Amino acid sequence: MDPVLIGELLAGLMFFGIIGFLLLGFPVAFTLAGVSLLFGAVGMFFGVFDPSNFGALPNRYIGFMTSEVLVAVPLFIFMGVMLERSNIAEQLLLTMGKLFGSLRGGLGISVIIVGAMLAASTGVVGATVVTMGLISLPAMLRAGYDPKLATGVICASGTLGQIIPPSTVLIFMGDMLSGINSQVQMAKGNFAPTAVSVGDLFAGALLPGFLLVGLYLAYTIFKAITDPQSCPATPVPAEEKQDLLREVVVSLIPPLLLILSVLGSILGGIATPTEAASVGAVGAMILAALRWRLSFATLRETTVATATITSMVFVILLGASVFSVVFRLMGGDNLVHEFLHNLPGGTLMAVAVVMAIMFVLGFILDTFEIIFIVIPITAPVLLMLDVDPVWLGVIVGVNLQTSFLTPPFGFALFYLRGVAPDDLPTSAIYKGIMPFVALQILAIAILFIFPGIVTWLPRLIAG
Amino acid sequence: MRVFATAVRAICGLNALVGHVFSWLSLGIVVICFTVVVQRYLFSTSFVWMQDLYIWLNGAMFTAVAGFTLMRNDHVRVDIFYRPAKARTKAIVDLVGAVVFLLPFCAVVYVYSMPFVMRAWGYAEASANVGGMPGLFILKSFIIVFVGLLALQGVAIILTSFLVLAGRSDLLPVAQRYDGASPLSDNEGAA
Repeated sequence: MDPVLIGELLAGLMFFGIIGFLLLGFPVAFTLAGVSLLFGAVGMFFGVFDPSNFGALPNRYIGFMTSEVLVAVPLFIFMGVMLERSNIAEQLLLTMGKLFGSLRGGLGISVIIVGAMLAASTGVVGATVVTMGLISLPAMLRAGYDPKLATGVICASGTLGQIIPPSTVLIFMGDMLSGINSQVQMAKGNFAPTAVSVGDLFAGALLPGFLLVGLYLAYTIFKAITDPQSCPATPVPAEEKQDLLREVVVSLIPPLLLILSVLGSILGGIATPTEAASVGAVGAMILAALRWRLSFATLRETTVATATITSMVFVILLGASVFSVVFRLMGGDNLVHEFLHNLPGGTLMAVAVVMAIMFVLGFILDTFEIIFIVIPITAPVLLMLDVDPVWLGVIVGVNLQTSFLTPPFGFALFYLRGVAPDDLPTSAIYKGIMPFVALQILAIAILFIFPGIVTWLPRLIAG
Repeated sequence: MRVFATAVRAICGLNALVGHVFSWLSLGIVVICFTVVVQRYLFSTSFVWMQDLYIWLNGAMFTAVAGFTLMRNDHVRVDIFYRPAKARTKAIVDLVGAVVFLLPFCAVVYVYSMPFVMRAWGYAEASANVGGMPGLFILKSFIIVFVGLLALQGVAIILTSFLVLAGRSDLLPVAQRYDGASPLSDNEGAA
């Protein structure tokens, strides 16, 4: 048998084999790595995998350990945990809940809005989902919500950080697409191409982000009307309503200012996401101190939670790196490449197929790895076909948000499982996300039909 | 059996100590990064070594506390079948997982990282940035610390599984017992 074929066969088998092994229930990070090593050993036996390729691992690992961008993860987790431990975020949610009065589903609506606000301030999916899970889930469960709706709303709202600026995914994508776009334009004979910047992608992603928030809100209102049991109204006593204005000023305004200043300083080009995140973390500590909640015990709990959650997220990344090394070197990316070159149909079909591949890869791979593997292979082809680079980047962002949500491998679900109460069944998380996955696919379809939702604002800003 | 239990206690004690100490690095990251921001935007000065430092602290933190995180069972599982399983089943899954997945992973990363780390020690590698931190070789050594503490915790998992399978989970620290760490009663079927 042809060794190339054996390698590609093994890579394909590994892809599906991991699904089975993950179901055993051993921690995901080590299962990803361990199963990949097993398949690598089989590949060695057939002479299609050279283990010296593992020599690339320490360089990758030290790359993660010295990444300025990735430091935003612990900083934003620290900010979120601190807000949670000092009950600031909970009060923010409760105040928002009261603002929406005794509406059925009102707490869900407030969670979506607060979730979008947090997404706007963090921009790192793992950190956002973890923050939302720590802040919103206990509050919603206490109010008597259906755990499925509660977790679905959180996973969906929490992954908005993927698409609502500031998004680290969009930063990487803007960086790569600008390079690829200038090469493609040169190849086309356009020697003065319009540059694509990270700012363009941020501007392009803003309206699609609002579109998603609108869809989530519409769904929650629909649930409140058709299935009132799933999201009971939180009764607001009259005396509490009298204090509402004061409460809004005390609870809502300071965190809102904190979030807006974090987001504003990034959007205004004043600070990097990491720098802004440190300001956010210090701001969260100041808000906690103002409420006499910044004790030594709080600090210690916050640091331990930050460190272990950060480690959990990063170790998944380290394990996925082993998978990535084995998969690519056994010819898995070749498999994908060959497939792309035999595509029938027009430009939109090509984009749709690439999106489908990314969606499938997203079951196992981390967003950044997907981008780093798929974009360099596919973006030159697609841009040659006159696909708008900003539209492509934003569509990829929305798509990878979808793959964060798809069970059983959605990373958002893993992150939420990591911080959810132990007595909450995992199956509730899996069932709860389904309607929101449908909404995501609907949003992608809308962006395919009306690309102007993406391209209008960047063009307006560019003049 | 008692030797196993003592070993489990010793390993968990070590990882708990390392975990609690290195968790404080997260506060260090916040403080140093914020200091860099204040210096840059208010005083228009900056020190490259400080920029290296808060980045490196993150690398040291998430590697050093990985074993502690495993001990606390905070590494996420696809637990749709694991969670409602009996203690014996869980013990078997953890035993097989530690032997077949975790320890080989630690071994491979150790084998391929050791030359990389030794090389860095050889010339006391420092930051590539001018005016940056010395001691990049120490940060690189945290890859070894990472797999070392993970492998130790993996050994603790194996010994714990043995004790559970032998029906002697009473010898274990309460937090390491399957029925103590996570309640077995689950409303999975009712939901």
